[in-house]
Amino acid sequence: MAEQLPVEFEFRANQTFAEYFPGGNEEIIGELKKAVAGIGEQLLFLWGNTGQGKSHLLHACCHEASLLGFSAFYLNCRQSAVLPPDVFNGLEGIDVVCIDNLDALAGFADLELALFNFFNQHRSNGCRIILSASCAPKVIALALPDLKTRINWGLSLKIQPLADNDKIAALSHKAQQLGFEFTPKAVKFLLTRYDRSLSSLWLALNKLDVASLSAQRKLTIPFLKEVLKNEP
Amino acid sequence: MSSIWNNCLSKLENEISSSEFNTWIRPLQAIENEGQLKLLAPNRFVMDWVNEHFFAKIEELVHEFSNGTLDLTLEIGSKVSSFQATAKPVKRPDLKKVGPSFLNKTFTFDNFVEGKSNQLAKAASFQVSENLGRAYNPLLIYGSSGLGKTHLMHAIGNAILLKKPSANIVYVHSEKFVQDMVKALQQNKINDFKDYYRNLDVLLIDDIQFFASKERSQEEFFHTFNTLLEKKHQVVLTSDKYPKEIANLADRLKSRFSSGLPVTIEPPDMETRAAILMKKAAHANIDFSQDVALFIAKRIPSNVRDLEGALRRVIANSQFTGRAIDIEFTKEALHDLILMRDKLVDINNIQKTVAEYYKIRVADLSAKSRRQSVTRPRQVAMSLARELTSLSFPDIGEAFGGRDHTTVINACNRVNKLKETDTKIAEDYFNLLRTLSH
Repeated sequence: MAEQLPVEFEFRANQTFAEYFPGGNEEIIGELKKAVAGIGEQLLFLWGNTGQGKSHLLHACCHEASLLGFSAFYLNCRQSAVLPPDVFNGLEGIDVVCIDNLDALAGFADLELALFNFFNQHRSNGCRIILSASCAPKVIALALPDLKTRINWGLSLKIQPLADNDKIAALSHKAQQLGFEFTPKAVKFLLTRYDRSLSSLWLALNKLDVASLSAQRKLTIPFLKEVLKNEP
Repeated sequence: MSSIWNNCLSKLENEISSSEFNTWIRPLQAIENEGQLKLLAPNRFVMDWVNEHFFAKIEELVHEFSNGTLDLTLEIGSKVSSFQATAKPVKRPDLKKVGPSFLNKTFTFDNFVEGKSNQLAKAASFQVSENLGRAYNPLLIYGSSGLGKTHLMHAIGNAILLKKPSANIVYVHSEKFVQDMVKALQQNKINDFKDYYRNLDVLLIDDIQFFASKERSQEEFFHTFNTLLEKKHQVVLTSDKYPKEIANLADRLKSRFSSGLPVTIEPPDMETRAAILMKKAAHANIDFSQDVALFIAKRIPSNVRDLEGALRRVIANSQFTGRAIDIEFTKEALHDLILMRDKLVDINNIQKTVAEYYKIRVADLSAKSRRQSVTRPRQVAMSLARELTSLSFPDIGEAFGGRDHTTVINACNRVNKLKETDTKIAEDYFNLLRTLSH
């Protein structure tokens, strides 16, 4: 019987490339698309601070792979404490394997070894591996040196954080997709008063969406203050 | 893909989170056949989770979309990877580089860049491919990860296959050997396993340090190894260190592994690193000057995989921006990498690491003492500072107790000469370089 994994709240929008606001990350999106289609790099490593959309991009890769008729798998290493080493078994038959938050796997010797074995088999099969972490491959605290050099071999790409103007555009774009109006004034208010990491902003946006729908109110600044009064 | 399964996927994608969907549902492969929809999970972990959390829901959807005509089953298994099995309307390179010997055809002697650090290993490998079972048997190539051991191993196999396509050659990683043996024991097929490995013409086995602490695998490998050697069939091994230094490896294996020719691969010197970059760039049809190669080589001193990673970054960025690859552009493209290295490997870090290695105090490195036990580590530290940082000779001298820049130049020259003649100094230097570069 599988162990209970912690359930993580997730903003439930379609996590596709089209839904991702690229900002200065067009190159990364291009490389990911090429890799998924089988005409780019075989191993990609995305890194950057949390809340910049790495998980979104990995999910988008899985989605894109399916559109192209390829099999895909996503694994979040945040759950490493409860993952068995055999989680990597059999994945060599999968076309696109996305491994998120790799830094959280560091120090779990069995998992590091299992990932190393998977790497050796998967790479020689010609399929694609897309990794993400909050730090660069060079400084990831993996104990197995052989695994570390293999990770460094790939193309590492640093996610560029969105500038405030980009965040305003991204939030307005997302709100529009969700079907409500989010005035530039309200977005600016959100950006100046609350946590500005993208993940926090998406969660706030989701909360506002639900609140405005149930209260049947527009997103005025007083209403926004009321809904987000307990937010950091 | 089954259209009913496609409908189920569309429905589930909108009902559960992306993480759940992409971890548990997306990797399932469907086969629809004679009133049955069979779902294949890649492993037990995924199968158990799906069984417990999603099976009832999927069964309900299958029932709905098939009007009750399909039964659902779930088991572990896999269809052939789509990259290899289907012809897609996308232009794709030859992804299937691996033949039945598990040899990677892209690793050959021709594209192996030779330098002082690896020329002996390359020469020995070439001899082995020319004189199977007679030149050096076993051949053991040892050195740190990412220096080209696996490349040479595949090159041996590919060279042999060119001359003798019917040769029964297998490349296997030690961990895979262990896994296959465990599987064979579980399935009562250990005799098949033994026959397979003991009847090879050439066995290329990578990273034997992974046999450490696995007594049963060591025992089985010992017998396989002896059988092949008795038949004068070739065995090539690699390891990250000299076998006698591998902890928890049986003594008889240590002496057996070292009984043929053990050759080492050291980290490549700067010129070899630059040559490797030039060769890889040429292979990718990229215009790349020697200045740029030297610029990267100076900043990435550790191993070939790191060099390749940096080169990929530069090429990808150049293709995206359309800019030519010159030093200014390379600096920008590798900005994060260089910044990180400068942060990681600073002079304080070098002094601390060298002092720990030679078991002296950090303060001794800057003191006036001329004792041999202090001067040699000081010279090594200065030489490392010159190689790993962008500091000038006067800056390095300043950091070592305000010494003159000519002292630093002398120290670097002295260490470079000693590396050629004194194996202990060479080993110390490379150990320190490896520690500081990882």
